[in-house]
Amino acid sequence: MNLGVQHDMLRSELEEIVGASHISTQESDRLVYATDWFWLPQMWLDRGERPRTPDFIVHPGSASEVSEVLKIANSYRIPVVPWGGGSGSQGGALPLFGGIVLDTKRLDRIVDIDEISLTVTAQAGINGSQLEWALNERGLTLPHYPASANCATLGGYLAPRGSGTVSTKYGKAEDLVLSMEVVLPTGEVIRTPGVPQHAAGPDFFRLFLGSEGTLGVITEATMQVDYLPETRLFRALLFDDLSRALEAGRLLMTRRLEPTVIRIYDPRSTASRVKTILGHEYEGAYMVLGFDGDADIATLQERKALEICTRLGAEDLGREPGESWWEHRYDFYYPPQNLKLPWMYGTTETVSTYDRIERIYYAEKGAVESEYAAWNVDFIGHFSHWFHWGAMLYSRFIIRNPPEDAREAIRLHNRVWNTAMTAVLENGGMINEHHGIGLKLSRFMRRQYGAAWPMLEAIKRALDPNGIMNPGKVGFGPGTGVER
Amino acid sequence: MNERALATLENCRYCLMCRHVDPLGLITRRETLTPHGIALVAVSEQRGLIDWNEEMIGVLYSEVDAGVAQANCVTDQPFSEAVALVRAELVASRLAPAAAYELEERFRRHASPFGEAPVETAKGQAETALFVGDEAHHLWPASVGAACTLLGALGESPVPISRGRSSGFLASSLGLIETARTQAKATLEELDATGAGRLVVLSPGDHFTLSQLYTGRLGLDWPAGVEIVDLATLLADGLRAGRLAFTPALEDGAYAYVDPTHAARTPERFEAPRSLLRSLMPTEPVELFWHRQRAHPVGSTALQFTHPELADALTRARLEDARSRGAEVLFCEDPGSLAQLCRHAAAHNLAVRGLYETLATHLKP
Ligand SMILES: Cc1cc2nc3c(=O)[nH]c(=O)nc-3n(C[C@H](O)[C@H](O)[C@H](O)COP(=O)(O)OP(=O)(O)OC[C@H]3O[C@@H](n4cnc5c(N)ncnc54)[C@H](O)[C@@H]3O)c2cc1C
Repeated sequence: MNLGVQHDMLRSELEEIVGASHISTQESDRLVYATDWFWLPQMWLDRGERPRTPDFIVHPGSASEVSEVLKIANSYRIPVVPWGGGSGSQGGALPLFGGIVLDTKRLDRIVDIDEISLTVTAQAGINGSQLEWALNERGLTLPHYPASANCATLGGYLAPRGSGTVSTKYGKAEDLVLSMEVVLPTGEVIRTPGVPQHAAGPDFFRLFLGSEGTLGVITEATMQVDYLPETRLFRALLFDDLSRALEAGRLLMTRRLEPTVIRIYDPRSTASRVKTILGHEYEGAYMVLGFDGDADIATLQERKALEICTRLGAEDLGREPGESWWEHRYDFYYPPQNLKLPWMYGTTETVSTYDRIERIYYAEKGAVESEYAAWNVDFIGHFSHWFHWGAMLYSRFIIRNPPEDAREAIRLHNRVWNTAMTAVLENGGMINEHHGIGLKLSRFMRRQYGAAWPMLEAIKRALDPNGIMNPGKVGFGPGTGVER
Repeated sequence: MNERALATLENCRYCLMCRHVDPLGLITRRETLTPHGIALVAVSEQRGLIDWNEEMIGVLYSEVDAGVAQANCVTDQPFSEAVALVRAELVASRLAPAAAYELEERFRRHASPFGEAPVETAKGQAETALFVGDEAHHLWPASVGAACTLLGALGESPVPISRGRSSGFLASSLGLIETARTQAKATLEELDATGAGRLVVLSPGDHFTLSQLYTGRLGLDWPAGVEIVDLATLLADGLRAGRLAFTPALEDGAYAYVDPTHAARTPERFEAPRSLLRSLMPTEPVELFWHRQRAHPVGSTALQFTHPELADALTRARLEDARSRGAEVLFCEDPGSLAQLCRHAAAHNLAVRGLYETLATHLKP
């Protein structure tokens, strides 16, 4: 933003709150905080283009400091963008209109571990793996294992409603949270009720899950934890037909066999990703099954699951390939195996009920592959987060030779997303299951929600009258004071 | 930019996967000082987005060079090596921080930033040499005598070498590659003159420098037939084999072992110092939160010269970790780490002890 003399006014006021050493306007910080893990700003930088940078990076150390920062931002009508680990892939943490990037990493304290109710209360900026280590020391685990645990924060788990590798048994991050402390856009610090299941009126607590920093800053959360499982069993199976694999997954879930993991790679992923990363060469749909908990129960569950799968024609590949998948499950996201620039790529993941999910897969695959055949698009997918009623499709497009010109690349990127999301929406899918909306999917929110969208907008206006919180994200446009 | 360095930095620029162990990210909370941030700054210079001005060079020189990122990297990206190569280019362009050139001068005159006495070259020949270096010689000399006593108990009479001369690690880390090579060659010549077939080292840092950095970063040949042996491992083996025994140390209070700077680079020796301590102490050591693979360095790297405030913060973070775990006494064997810990320990109400000296005074005859 062009803040002129206000810049130094604002800086000195912010310094009074957080201390001079916790606020930066350095060029290096502004560059690094100009991009999260969204392909678009990374590509922009990759092509030597200068992105929009924040004016200030502020590191508050308490909820009351967050509150004071938001009050100041309101009085100056300055955007505030919460930033956890910056690992979000949707551009949710991008300072689109400059202003303040509010890095939560100083809020990293574990407040309490309750070994009776099995909960942990921690500040929202705590790093996922560090929290996990602390729990593991007590024989506990927070069973939200996103591939980004090493870099993401607790607040970043909740704000975009993330899912981890074992969500099929333990639920998404939003299912594990009991309560939160939130600083509202106007600076009030609120605490949601201590338990999530009750009948004391509407569940306003859920509003902040998925709000991605547009309705306030989560500063603390109480999460349900589990005992570290006595055993973890993995094995891999091969189906020659994706439909049968999906049917097996449905039966496992609807018969409540409680798998920890069901991951079905489509034939294209089986032939490419599974081959290069895990070194297994198979044709068909590769399935990884996991069970955990008490050894006798997990063994029984696994046996019943195997019966279902083999009845549907699966070949049991045994334990080793399943265990090696668990061992290497994050390699898919590390260099050099990860999707990387100069490629163009996007994870067009979706979720729907069992009666639709396969149709969505073929509709999206068909649309993307036919419309972008000239770009040699690669469409891959796997099904990895399962519910009693449906499953999540983690689909991805990859274009290995995108336009060199950054602006042309953005046009093509957005066209592919239009195609993919149109196929998803027309076939009854959600535009996202766990990465969130951010900037990337903002423009699809109206279509997703139809007549319900104005209600969400009204809530946003009521809570954030000046539109300072994370403008341009989750479908909410820039607020009144924001320079476009 | 050097192609090898660039390839690594391109890989690291958008990878955030060592954030959980990144020492500077943890103490500053600045994304910019994590491998991702440092790599992004470096490759942005290549793309014309930034210039190598004082601020950006400061970012590049904030990399700790203690191996924690690589030790925790699934694909083993040699991040510190890449940064050292870029620093060497900055040195060559006279763009490095003033501290680097000041140190270059000190290295030229005194072979060490820690003292001005001339290097004491080895006299005589032996089967075993003991690498002393400048940190042990100037900052924690008691460790050298203790090491000789302990080796003596195992029937060895080592010839100390490189007394007062830097190993070359610091210089190489600052991008002063030629200075580092000169120091390394002097060490190798002295070693050669002793005729030793075994070189005992006191710390993970020296182990890394002599066994990996000389041949890797500095491109030198390691003398054929000379084995590098870590003293703590040697002692732990001796203990296990019944060739060494210790009388109980009467320390009061909970104690902890501090994995020294560079510990993450030598995972094979995590257990050795712990087992030695157990043989001395009546109770189990307290494990710090930042231990073994994830152990943070203290400020005993080049950071103490280029960014002393960050170096101090790293050291204080280790001491706070120890306090929060209830430790009252800290043990460590690395002279450089010990010197750093000692400077701040009193403010944290902690006592610091050299592991080798404690072992030597409790050696059972
Ligand atoms: C390699 C890799 C693998 C990934 N794998 C997974 C996965 O398996 N599962 C998954 O769900 N996601 C995954 N992600 C996406 C992403 O890491 C997660 O969504 C993560 O939880 C984001 O956390 P963060 O702290 O980095 O958030 P950020 O990227 O910093 O922020 C994400 C959004 O949340 C908002 N926000 C952050 N903190 C707060 C807060 N305290 N209060 C309010 N709003 C806040 C931000 O403004 C932004 O809109 C992956 C990302 C990477 C880079």
